[in-house]
Amino acid sequence: MTGVPPSLYLGVSVALFLLGLIGVMIRRNPLMLLLAVELLLNAANVALVGFSRYWGNTDGHIFALVVMVVAAAEVVVGLGLVVAVFRNRLRLDVDEMSTMKG
Amino acid sequence: MGERITFAVAAAAALISAGLVITLKSAFRAAVSLIVTLISVAVLFLIQSAQFVAAIQVIVYAGAIVVLFLFVIAYLGERRVEETVDPLGRMHVFGWLTALGLGGFAALAIANSRLPGLRDDPRKVGNIGGPEAIGQTFLNHQLVAFEATSLVLLVAAVGAVVLAKRAGGAGVGR
Repeated sequence: MTGVPPSLYLGVSVALFLLGLIGVMIRRNPLMLLLAVELLLNAANVALVGFSRYWGNTDGHIFALVVMVVAAAEVVVGLGLVVAVFRNRLRLDVDEMSTMKG
Repeated sequence: MGERITFAVAAAAALISAGLVITLKSAFRAAVSLIVTLISVAVLFLIQSAQFVAAIQVIVYAGAIVVLFLFVIAYLGERRVEETVDPLGRMHVFGWLTALGLGGFAALAIANSRLPGLRDDPRKVGNIGGPEAIGQTFLNHQLVAFEATSLVLLVAAVGAVVLAKRAGGAGVGR
């Protein structure tokens, strides 16, 4: 036994996902929420690439690349929202962002 | 043996820095810690023969997304993004319970999985992670996903511009 079995990669993926999930639930600053969401997406990528190697094909890599594109789009829109809220209300707290009205 | 040592170091670095991302008070330090997580995950990709995805991870994530984060944090100012006292602090226990339950389920699922070879040495794979293999799969089999990707990026760019314009027009800042 010299390699690392795929189940260990899945374990790392689960641990990263749980850390991101806890981050999303206990942080209230929208910037920190976005950082934690990045952790969630990366955890998914670890699992995707792990299974891609398990099955010996490239499909998981394609999926991981698409996830990265979605992450980039999400960060652009999320940071745009954060800056917009900052300019309008000057208080960054997800509990206060409960109305959609500008 | 080499893969095991690299895996242990990269996984430990990824998990420790991920813990720092969600616990550090300063948003700036959390973002820098996220860079460490992303690069450790890139190492995990690399030892699974996913070279192209690892490179994109470093370029797009660590190079573009986190820099965007740092830019916004610097723009808003460190003082503005500090955490306030949470009036719902007691409710955090439900968050932890959810995470614990989900982790238990996931551990159970991995332990009881009947996929052959999930807990054995990985099989030898060919060149599945190079740019050539990625390009072939993208353009020969996943063309719709490829085109949808460009549409997602276009919509995000337009959305960001609209958000920036509206905030500039209606805001009190400038």
